[in-house]
Amino acid sequence: MNEWRYRIGEHRQTLLAFIVFLLMFVIYVSNHPAGFNANVVTTAANKGVLLALVAMAQTIVVLTAGIDLSVGMVFILTNCLASWIVVGSLGMTALGVIGVLLTGSLCGALNGLIVIYGRLQPIVTTIATGAIYFGLALALRPVPGGDVNSTLADSLTGQLPGGIPASLVALFIVVLVIWVPFRRSEIGRAVYAAGSSEIAAYMSGVPIRRAKLVAYSLSGLLASMGGLFLTFITYSGEASAANGGTYTLYSIAAVVLGGVSLFGGAGSAIGAIFGALMFRTIGDLLFVFDLEPLWQPLFQGIVLLVAVSLGSVRLFRIRNRLDLFG
Amino acid sequence: MKSRSCMRRVAGFAGILLIHGVFGFAAYAAGPKIVAGPNSDPKCFAPWTDSVKLFQFTQKKGPYRIALANGFIANTWRIQMIKTAKAYASQPDVATKLKEFKVVSTGEDVAAQIAAVNNFIDSGYDAIVVNAQNPTAFKPVIKRANDAGVVLVAFDNTLDTEDAINVNVDQKGLGEYWADWLVKNIPNGGKILEVRGVSGTSVDRDRHDGIQGVLKASGKKWDTVEVIGKWDDPTAQKVTADAIAVHKHFDGVTAQGGDTGVVQAIIDAKHPFVPFGGETENGFRKFCAKYSADGLKCASGGTGPAQVAVAIKTAIAALEGNVVPQSIKLPLARVEDPNFKDGQDFYSEQSDNFFVGNAFPTCGINFTAQEIMGQSEANQ
Repeated sequence: MNEWRYRIGEHRQTLLAFIVFLLMFVIYVSNHPAGFNANVVTTAANKGVLLALVAMAQTIVVLTAGIDLSVGMVFILTNCLASWIVVGSLGMTALGVIGVLLTGSLCGALNGLIVIYGRLQPIVTTIATGAIYFGLALALRPVPGGDVNSTLADSLTGQLPGGIPASLVALFIVVLVIWVPFRRSEIGRAVYAAGSSEIAAYMSGVPIRRAKLVAYSLSGLLASMGGLFLTFITYSGEASAANGGTYTLYSIAAVVLGGVSLFGGAGSAIGAIFGALMFRTIGDLLFVFDLEPLWQPLFQGIVLLVAVSLGSVRLFRIRNRLDLFG
Repeated sequence: MKSRSCMRRVAGFAGILLIHGVFGFAAYAAGPKIVAGPNSDPKCFAPWTDSVKLFQFTQKKGPYRIALANGFIANTWRIQMIKTAKAYASQPDVATKLKEFKVVSTGEDVAAQIAAVNNFIDSGYDAIVVNAQNPTAFKPVIKRANDAGVVLVAFDNTLDTEDAINVNVDQKGLGEYWADWLVKNIPNGGKILEVRGVSGTSVDRDRHDGIQGVLKASGKKWDTVEVIGKWDDPTAQKVTADAIAVHKHFDGVTAQGGDTGVVQAIIDAKHPFVPFGGETENGFRKFCAKYSADGLKCASGGTGPAQVAVAIKTAIAALEGNVVPQSIKLPLARVEDPNFKDGQDFYSEQSDNFFVGNAFPTCGINFTAQEIMGQSEANQ
């Protein structure tokens, strides 16, 4: 009984994010002119999964009590790279996908190495490396263009039999293959420990450096999955600094909406996924409710603020922050 | 009740999927027919080149539902564009053809704009007008629109495609128009100040090429001084002042933008007024009207936010089954000295930054400032 309560407590934020998202999505779909159908859900899913992948990437770094401002630029860089190499025959395409994911992981690992051994603040490091990654993206794609294996792109952005969005299934697999094993591994626990209290973790002999390096590399890997998926949606690559910055900021918003603590050590990537879906649905509400374009950012801001506040209501009721873990 | 109708919809959709599976793609028209002609309105829908394909969509019965999928909205050009779009949609002869006109702005995020267009297609809109965030990212969307029989028209930031309608701005033609004016109004050639735009953009390059091409071909002797004004009043004003300080005298001026600032610099330096080929800012036209007698002979032409009206007009023409070119050359919104009229070509009460190039005579499109400013930016 006690353990059960503990588990609910641990996932409370994730559950809350899920419920708020579900409420919003129901409001969205029931006001959509086309109603609840497979196409509407697929369109929403594709857009949501794109942000969810970047938000997961942000989460893993945030859990170490860091922040990754280069995540949007890794996303853009791998998008530009994918628009060159994820083409041609099945074998070529597979090699291309591996190349893209490897590039993303390397970008993340570089961030990690600088933060760990350079002893620089994550926020400063990733601003600098983000500029480098964007520079590389610009060198790859000075003007928008390129192509992608359209069979692969169509199958991942399309629908499975029964109208289930393929992108949601792909995201589910990513969670099963990357997040769940990570969360349950010793390294995963070390990431949480390092994020909660780095000194205590260090004193306890937790492999902090290894944990951080893995966290940053995984973050790069997930961001590159986002970049790959953007290529599937757009069939092309574009080195857009504005888009990179947008996704970096959106990913932080999604992380907070998903109940991940920006102080590190608490929250889960699954919460961040629902945070991302929630964030996208806030944007979609603009489509079904006829708001003035100039009021739209204000409206989005207010909904965002309300959603974030909902997540922190519990903080008002507790006397000691340690209660949160009780 | 609600949930039952929802279930029915889901069931209906499943049915459609099944039919689709059985009969393959035969049930869908894969986009417009490509026809030999004739162009339904060659004056307004001028083809970009002679080899441009001519489209004919299956005629649909009106009134139509048309959507505008805008990208980012953070400058005055875009805001005036949206206001103009709504003003056009509520002009009486256009309003009778429209059942609904909806505007959505999705920001910098191209994936969000793609999703918006997909949503419009799924919601059964007849035509979608886009100002695209990225010229290459819409391939799958174009295919979906064509499969669903939806007319897709891109303007301002157009699409790299031959399967959707593009309304292109003829930037080179605009440069030629300005240079033509200078050639006509400066009898013996001379020294020209050319205030250029933002370096590295195709717009700046094309306008510059147009100006230089015409000057060279005129047979007169020209000496051009180029400065970079970045389409911005303060920048253009400063570089013009510097150029006048160094070169003392110019026989003519042409500027791609920031024209109000250029004229202000001429006034401040007590440089005599000379013929001027420039853009369509309200402030610039105010000066042109005021100092016309003193020698400021202007040609004001441009490709302002009112081009959205040409895009909507094209979409309606396509829905009515008329033949339109795939790639359209936008006509110039222009007016020359001595025809600057207050309340029609410029507005002494409006701000200097208001874009006044709102008349496309070859398309029968014109707006007053009141019509545009009277529209909120609201969706409808």
